[in-house]
Parts: sequence; structure tokens; C-alpha cells
Amino acid sequence: MAAAAGLMRSGTLLPRLAASVLLLAAWQALALSGLLFRDVVPPLGALAAGLWGVLADPGFWGNALVTGGELAAALAIGGALGIAAGLVFGASAFIAAALERWMTWLAPTPKIILFPVLILFCGVGPGSKIAMGAVSCFFPVLLSTAAAVRGVDPVLLRVARSFRARADQILVKVYLPAAVAPMLNGVRLGFGVALIGVLLAETKLSNQGVGFLVMQAYARFDMPRMYGLLIVVVCFAAAINVAIGHAARRAAAGPIAREN
Amino acid sequence: MRQTAAPLLGIGLVVSLVLLLQWAIGVGLVDEYTVPRPSEIAAALPRLVTEEHVASRFMVTVGETFAAGALATLVGTALGAALYRWPLMRRSFEPWVAVLAAAPLVLAYPLFLVLFGRSSLTVVVIAFASALPPVVLQTVTGFAAVRPVLLAVGRSLGMGRAAEFRRILLPAALPSVFTGLRLALMFGLINVVGVEFLINLGGLGALINDLSERYDLPGTWAAIGVVVLVSVCFFATLDGGERWLRRRG
Amino acid sequence: MRRRHLLATLSLLALLDAPARADDLLKVAIGQRGNWENSVSELGQDAGFFKKQGLTLEILYTEGGGQTQQAVISGSVDIGIGVGTYGVLGAFGKGAPVRIIGNSMIGARDLYWYVPAASPVQSIKEAGGKSIAYSTTGSSTDLVVRGFQRVFDIKLNPVAAGSPASTFTQTMSGQIDIGWASPPFGVEAAQSGRTRIVGRGSDVPDFADQSVRVMIANAGAVARKADAIDRYMAAYRETLAWLYADPAALDAYAKWAGVSPALALQVRDEFYPRANMEPDRIRGLDGLSQEAVGLKFLAAPLRPDQITTLVQNKQAAQ
Repeated sequence: MAAAAGLMRSGTLLPRLAASVLLLAAWQALALSGLLFRDVVPPLGALAAGLWGVLADPGFWGNALVTGGELAAALAIGGALGIAAGLVFGASAFIAAALERWMTWLAPTPKIILFPVLILFCGVGPGSKIAMGAVSCFFPVLLSTAAAVRGVDPVLLRVARSFRARADQILVKVYLPAAVAPMLNGVRLGFGVALIGVLLAETKLSNQGVGFLVMQAYARFDMPRMYGLLIVVVCFAAAINVAIGHAARRAAAGPIAREN
Repeated sequence: MRQTAAPLLGIGLVVSLVLLLQWAIGVGLVDEYTVPRPSEIAAALPRLVTEEHVASRFMVTVGETFAAGALATLVGTALGAALYRWPLMRRSFEPWVAVLAAAPLVLAYPLFLVLFGRSSLTVVVIAFASALPPVVLQTVTGFAAVRPVLLAVGRSLGMGRAAEFRRILLPAALPSVFTGLRLALMFGLINVVGVEFLINLGGLGALINDLSERYDLPGTWAAIGVVVLVSVCFFATLDGGERWLRRRG
Repeated sequence: MRRRHLLATLSLLALLDAPARADDLLKVAIGQRGNWENSVSELGQDAGFFKKQGLTLEILYTEGGGQTQQAVISGSVDIGIGVGTYGVLGAFGKGAPVRIIGNSMIGARDLYWYVPAASPVQSIKEAGGKSIAYSTTGSSTDLVVRGFQRVFDIKLNPVAAGSPASTFTQTMSGQIDIGWASPPFGVEAAQSGRTRIVGRGSDVPDFADQSVRVMIANAGAVARKADAIDRYMAAYRETLAWLYADPAALDAYAKWAGVSPALALQVRDEFYPRANMEPDRIRGLDGLSQEAVGLKFLAAPLRPDQITTLVQNKQAAQ
């Protein structure tokens, strides 16, 4: 209720509604025009049926839980390592000069090719999917965090040093609060990449998870079901993004706002 | 002296890791039928050039990545600036963009195949669509982070919006824009190669698919090395461009 | 006093009743779930044939033979089903720890090629110059397409289109002229007239007596779990017999693959003769080995002693 009221007050309802209607109408027109292969561009009715089929299927929720768990673990591991490494890279010009270009060069390599190696070390179950997600999100989080740390106002650092703050104090009281908002942006990006990594891994070798279901649906050419699954994934991603967005805004507002 | 010490250390570290891997495979710590010895990977490179037309595939991948990355940067910066300029639009649609950044667009590749055909166009479109949201988000964040005092100074000097954009916002947000460009290239290349791999079309991604299906592991890893080379080329160019711009500004 | 006796007797009985050992676990990787050829392990497990042999299967699905093979080679799974023989020969030739434990499919009778109903093409014979799909390099579909060109003396334009689903997308949206599929995929579309079948894998006689896809196992697993693998093969044979004899098996398959039992019957009888799926009939390895050289899978044909090491099937009848 409060969210809905907030939505209306902020004035975003109208633009979003207009954009939604436009997009849905465009899709329906495309689907019904007969210009494109109907099976792959199904009308909205078929999409809705597919979505309903997914939500009503008890088997889906078990698989969703599996993927959700893998994703959470992947984010925790890859995100933590990425932030830690990013803090180091951002704070130390020497280490950055030594290694950051290698990280940037390696970041765009297709991590899925590492999957056989990950299976070797982490097994054929959820472990390899978690590893895949973690490796995928490590690089964007690292690079975003490093950039965020470098963006910290040097004035703040000078003030801290004039108070003779120790390195760890500077880390916690200057770097972290100032870099938190852009860092959370990096985590947002990392989340997306981790999700894609986990799902792709599940399409490669698995017997459970949402990626596995997507692969099954496509193999049978059950396109409404496949789209239904993707829509659910996007909605889930939306929900998580809203949560991270809230956290980012509160962090950027500062400790006084938080206390209020 | 300090200038060259760091990069040298970096190279040294990488070389040590490669040697460590060579040893680990040799003694059986790592399965040689899953990760080939670095020496074998290096030996496979000449074969790629002569037998697998790696040079022309390289150009195809570079071309697709450049197209996707450039488009994502141009459109993304423009959209980001627009969202920043009109706060209502930003409040309404920035969350949508964030969601798109997390959406597994790659998994909807059948849709793109149907819409754009079995050609490089599909590869570029999917890569563009995947790289666009991060650039938009980065641009908006960059503009929003410009210190208000700078904008206040601009206003007190009587600057109009256009001047404000050109003289304060853009220069102050330039590092963010360049980060956005990096992200565009990163996501662009990863998706270009990924989609080429998935639908077995065109450049290096298709080559990696082919070689791995043929169980030519040294070749597969060598081809991945060439992908890293593409990455190096783009980012070296970008770094050079950024340095040149800074000297001018 | 009496209660303690009761307890002791019950415990003794429980001990005597307990199985001699816990079920052995085998990890199996399979591509293309839903395909009749690949259904044996999961349907057999559901029907209890593997449990009877004291086996529990952990079944994982991949997108195709190449990935199945890699999982087996790395030892991440014990057994792989439906792997292209060329790939296996090539890997073995490079020294990979892989062994053939059985035949998955002889010949290419299960594969078919189709066009959208509106297409002018009536049969592959007259389709010279058109684009035609196959899955990936070195796959059985790749070889059949080359075979078409030889047998009908025409020039086609082969395109590596990937899985049946991916191929269907591209064919029906006009990007490829002739698509390929493996039943039950697309059979309904052909029956309802949306598509027209223009060629069959059996049109190319060369492969009729060759094991184009095989069952493989990791060499280490063959050494360590030899008994379990033998029992797997025993249960496999039993399941196969059941699939071709019992109507209930067709119902189980229909439910599992998401098709009607009538369609399942047609698919089985028309495309998958039992003889082609007999696991102990590993045929044509010599010829396949020669062809593998031509396709760059092998540097040289396998020697007889190499083939003896490669094939680990005690019941293999050549």
C-alpha cells in the first residue's frame, strides 16, 4: 500500500504506464502481423498462458529455489572477492599499475569456456554453477569498485590523514562510505552477470534449476513456456534491483539520513 | 623507475602463474585433458593462423564488437544524459534500465534470430542490447556525482544549459563516461563472442565452438587467447584515447 | 527381560534383512533429453531396472555430444550416452582417458530433413544449391549432409545450425531452406502439414552399418567401477527390451517426453528399429576411424590394438 502511494506521489506511474502500453502494443502488432515466425513471436495471450503455466507448476518453484541459492552463493563469493580486490586496486596505485590492465583484458573472455575446469574442481552439481556465477561477476565488481574508490574526493583523504587516521580507519571511515553508492552500482551489474553465468551453466550440464528448465522448454520448442520462464527471471531480477537500489540510496544519503 | 616497476611486476606475476600451470599439469595436479599445457596452447597458434583462418575471424569479431560497443556508448551516453536532464524520466525508467542490465537477454537468442536473421546483425544487436544498460546507468551515476558546487559556480556565471553541459558536466563526468565506454566494450565483446559461440556463426566464437566440438583443446584455448588479444587491442586504444583527451583538457 | 530379548531378535532380523551393500552411484551425462535414443537411462531408473541391479543413477543433461564427452573425459561423470563416434575416436587418439562401452545408435535412420510446407522443395534430390542444416562439425548430421551430396550428385550449401530447436527456428523463419531434426522433435509439425519431410538419414546407405553414436565411460571409472558398469549395461539391456515390448513403457516415454502415446509408438517403430539401439552391437569402427582422419579428428587411423583398448564391452559382437 505504501509502495503504491509512493509510486503515485512520485509521478512515475504515468510515464511507466505509457511506456508499458506502448511496448506491449508494439509486440502484439509484431506478433499478429504475420511477418515473423509466429512460434517465436507469440501473441500476448500465448505469453500469458506460458507465464501462468510456469507459475502454476509446482516443479518450477523447487528449481527456482535451487537457482536462487546458487545465485546467492555466487554473489556472496564473487562479490566479496571483487570488492576486496577492488578496494586494494583502488587504494594502491602500484598494484593497479601492475595488474589492473590484466583484469580488464581478461574480463571480456567468455567465462563459459572455463566451465569444464570448474566442473573438474567443483563437481557436476550446484558447486560448478556457483563457481561459474562467481567468476563471471568477479571482474565487473572489481573494476567498478576500483573506479569508485579512485573517485573518492582527495580532500576527504587529506582531512583524514591530517587527523592521523590509520590505514584501516581510512578504509572504513573514508573509503567505504564515500564509495558505497558507486560500489553498489557495481554490485547491481555483478548481480546481472552472475545471474546470466549461473543460468548459462545450468543449460550446459545439469538436472535442476531454471536454466535447465529453459533448456528443456526450448528443446521441446515450447516457446510460451520458455518466455514464461524468462519473464519470471526478469521479474525476480527487478525485485532484487529495487532492493539494491534502495540500499544504495540510503547509503549515499549518509549516516544522518540513515538515523532518521 | 617506479613507472616501469609496476607493469613489470604484473607481467612477472602472469608469467609465473603460467609456469606454475605448466608444472601443475605436468605432475598431474590438473587434468591435462581438461586444461592443456601452456606450451601446447602456444604451439597451436600457428595452426590456427594457417588452417582455421583466424585472421579473418579476428576481423569479424573486432568489427562486430566495435559496432556493438560504439553504438552502446553513443546511445547509452545520450540516453543517460537525457535521463539525468529530466528527473521524472530518470525516476521512472532508471530502475527499468537496471533490470535490463540483469536480464539474461542472451537466453532469448531465438527471438533475435527470427527478428534479425542468421547474420552478424543478430550478434551485434544482442551485444548492443546487453551492453546498453550498463552504459546508461554509468552515465547517469557519473553526471549525478558531479559536485554541486561546480554547477553552482556555473549558474552564478550565467551559463545556459548547453554551456553547463559542455563545460562543467561533460568534463567532470568524463571519467565516468570512459568507465561506461570500458563497460560497453567489455559487455560487447563478451556477448559478441558468446553469441557467435551459441549460434555457431562468424568470428572467433564460432571457431571456439568448432574446435571444442572437435576436442582440439590446445586450439580452443589458443582461440580464447586470440579473444583476449581483441580485448587488449580495444583497451589499449581506449587508454591511449583517454590519455590524449586528458592532455587536451 | 522379555523386552530385551525382543529387541535383540528384532535387531538381528534387521541386520540379516539389510542389503549386502548400499546402492552404487553412477553419474551419467546425456544430451538432448526427450529423444527416444537417450531415454533408456532415465526411464529405466524410473521403472526400477537399475535399482534392481543395485545402482542409483545421477543423470545430468547436456546440450550435445561434445559437452557430454568433455564431462566424461574430465572424470566429472562416469558414463556418457549418445556421443558422436568421430569425437570419441579423436579424443582417444589424443590420449584422452575415454572408452567405448556400448553402441548408442547404428545408422542414421532416426534423422530426417524437412522444409516449411510453403517451400517448393519436394525432395533433397532436386534441392541443388539450397542451404541445408546440420548440427555441428563432425556430427552424424554433418556426415549425412555430405552423404546426400555424394549419393544424389548435387551441390548443397551446408549450415551449422545447432540443435533441432535452433534449426526449426531458422528454417521456419526462412533463413535456412532445409532443416534437420531427430524425433520426437517436429514429428507433429510434419504430421499436421506445417512441414514436409524431404529426406531421411537412411537415404545415405554408407552409415547403415556403423555405430555413429556410442556409449562411453571414463577410463578410470572403467578400471575402478568395472562391476557397477557391467550392471549398468545389464539394466540397460533389460530396459531396452521393456521399451520395445511393454505398452506401459510407451506411456512412460510419452509422459516423459511430453508427446501422445500414439506419437511415441509411431516414432519408435518408424525411426528407431531396436536393432539400431542394441548396446552390444558396436559396428564399423574401422571404417569410422578412416573417415575420422579425413575430417581432421584423427591424425592417423586407429591400429587394431588401439581399438582393442578403446572398446570395453565384454559382450561386443562384431
